[in-house]
Amino acid sequence: MVEVREGKKIRKVMVKSRSTINDILRELGYNREEVVVRLNGKIVAEEEELSRGDSIEVIRIVTGG
Amino acid sequence: MISPGERVAVAVSGGKDSVTLLHLLAELGEMKKFEVVAISIDEGIRGYRDRSIRVAKENTNSIGIEHVTGEFERYFGETLDGMVRLAKRKKMSLYPCTYCGVMRRYLLNKLAREVGATKLATAHNLDDEVQAIMLNYIRGDLSRLQRLGPVYFSREGFVPRIKPLREIPEKEVAVYALLRKFKVHLAKCPYATGIHTEIRDFLNGLEARHPNSKFMILRTFDSVKARLSLHSEEFETRSCKICGEPTSSDVCKSCKLLGELGLLRP
Repeated sequence: MVEVREGKKIRKVMVKSRSTINDILRELGYNREEVVVRLNGKIVAEEEELSRGDSIEVIRIVTGG
Repeated sequence: MISPGERVAVAVSGGKDSVTLLHLLAELGEMKKFEVVAISIDEGIRGYRDRSIRVAKENTNSIGIEHVTGEFERYFGETLDGMVRLAKRKKMSLYPCTYCGVMRRYLLNKLAREVGATKLATAHNLDDEVQAIMLNYIRGDLSRLQRLGPVYFSREGFVPRIKPLREIPEKEVAVYALLRKFKVHLAKCPYATGIHTEIRDFLNGLEARHPNSKFMILRTFDSVKARLSLHSEEFETRSCKICGEPTSSDVCKSCKLLGELGLLRP
């Protein structure tokens, strides 16, 4: 299980072994082009693999205007 | 793009792209000996632009950069919110992005000229530029297509525009801004809807499935543009009969739009 936070919204998501941030983003309906991800407080590439207990922060960067 | 001794006006909204460009140019200016001045345009979008301009000012204050602001209300007699309300009352179909785009460019040029800038830098990134290419293709607007490029020299009265971040993907600008811990305003403009958003979503879907698509669209466009040698219609620069700003016709586009809204001052 990992925790995924976007603003005030927090979700707990089950992860399979060797799941990456990309897999989670896809599962939750995010486009990787439109977000930056912090894994346990550090900005990382979406290819990063996840471990149980990880905490992910999703920051939407596409704002427009 | 910029030579030593120049005075570069940077358009700063407070968003991640313009704040990043401001800091990069300020740092580069120290090394390469050119001056930087910030210009913000307050269109008057309540709860959005007021906040972003506050962030822009925090940034310019923190690095000691001269900062001027031009408000729609002061220069055009009404905020963008007010124009939208007015158009509704008059039962006109007003597309806020058209008014905002035309009048913001008008004010940016006017203020850049007034502060003595030799270049006007905007923070358009790769995503913005590719969206503009697609949009103008769809609209068949060759005149606007030919203006898309890293540097655009226009006519007398127009400050040459540069886009230093044109080849940098939006995501990379965001990562850089976050890593440098810049104060940025991350919010969506309440008026941002329509075809622009559809094109953006389409391109982001394409890029996620086929990485590098955006960059190739830009590169191909640049080479096609050079081969076609697209020319803008040759026009004589005149002064707008109403406001005196440079224009290709008797009355500039801003004054035309203001006239439609009944906002032209006598």
